[in-house]
Amino acid sequence: MDVVQHMFNYSVFAGFVVGILSLIAIGYQRSDIHLLILTDVVECAMLVIIAALGTDLAEALILPGLVVGLAEFLAVSEILIQRCKLRKKEREKKTPKLFEEFLVVEEPKVEVDIEHPRMEILYSASRFISLILVIYGAFLTGFTGGAVMSVGLLFYLLSQGIVSRGISSEDIKDFWEAVAGFSGIMWALWIILGFIGFYLFPEHYVTFLLIAGGALALKVGSKLGLIGDLKL
Amino acid sequence: MFLNITSVAGEFYGYIPFGDIVLYVTEFSAISFVIALFFTLVVYFTKPEKQLESQIGGFDKLNYVSLEELKIRRLMAILCGICTAFAMLTGDLFNYALFLAVIGITNIGIVSAVKKEWVLNAAYYYGIIAMISTLPLFGGAALILAKTGTLSILELAGKHQDLLFQKMLYAAGMVGETGVAPFYAAKAEMFRAPGAPYILMIHLSSLLIVIRTAEILLTI
Repeated sequence: MDVVQHMFNYSVFAGFVVGILSLIAIGYQRSDIHLLILTDVVECAMLVIIAALGTDLAEALILPGLVVGLAEFLAVSEILIQRCKLRKKEREKKTPKLFEEFLVVEEPKVEVDIEHPRMEILYSASRFISLILVIYGAFLTGFTGGAVMSVGLLFYLLSQGIVSRGISSEDIKDFWEAVAGFSGIMWALWIILGFIGFYLFPEHYVTFLLIAGGALALKVGSKLGLIGDLKL
Repeated sequence: MFLNITSVAGEFYGYIPFGDIVLYVTEFSAISFVIALFFTLVVYFTKPEKQLESQIGGFDKLNYVSLEELKIRRLMAILCGICTAFAMLTGDLFNYALFLAVIGITNIGIVSAVKKEWVLNAAYYYGIIAMISTLPLFGGAALILAKTGTLSILELAGKHQDLLFQKMLYAAGMVGETGVAPFYAAKAEMFRAPGAPYILMIHLSSLLIVIRTAEILLTI
């Protein structure tokens, strides 16, 4: 047996192992430039797999593979440089606050004394609308229903901010985290208590069905991640 | 050379030998080739869109594509179109993989001139995925070569070999390189960059490449 044929399995295996190990390293890496360098290691592993063939054709294939890999490396590093330049330029600009458009910047000065908080509709309508949204979302179920339901909850919170003395972004953050935590607990109820209960105690299936169903509806309803991401 | 290709690609019209590289024309690849070239012409002749961006607490503003930016992006979009067109015709697995990698580079190039941080961020992550996925793509092609002794689709079409694992690797590489479903998150952000016809080229190329890869994997 030829030495190249003998080494084929080992070199292909080595190539895949190097690729997978560097993928794990990429998963742990936080720095952008190190991420890029580790990605280049994956391309070297690709060259190892091609080189494992050990024929003339493989030699002819390594060169374009290497060139294409280097070109991609250059393109991505150019992107990184551009972004660094852009970041340096924009560092002085102020960063927008969370829900900036809903927060009161300054009290508008009005000559006539209008008592906004006394208006009945500001109290009742917001609650009514959010209640309708939550109930409608519960009927819709699924992701759409969850989005509608959480829009209802968020609408209620923001409207409370207008009615009372105003609402800070700290309040919104607390509310958001509380609802997210509630959602996590409901997930645990749905999967761990409800779903596994089916298999462990099949004779009490009605109880577990009710637990799983109720927890699922509450979990999707409180899935605020559907409307967007919280950046602070 | 086996010319009796019976595949999903429709009727076989003939092949164009360029030395080592053999292009072949089927009903499917001819149509895709014409579509890709047509859109390349569209990209060459149209002006970029102006994107309206709404602002919080201020007037909305129009995003213009400056001439300097336009030149780079148009060049990259045209290169992307030509690569897509010839990837439709090529009869060589490794050649096809190279075309795919070049399309990945041009996709990054199309958005790289945009001076927006989120676009550059998305292009960076897409580039990382594209670089990682060269391993399964080229590795898959190399393993097919190792098992069958050829890379020609025309040669492979005649034989029926068990290439399941190699095909899976090849398909995984294509998925990463074009940035479809599991890796779509970065690419979706890239589409938000201003300048319509160039951005559409990214879409069109990955669409045609996905169909063509499915056709190749069913043929060999």
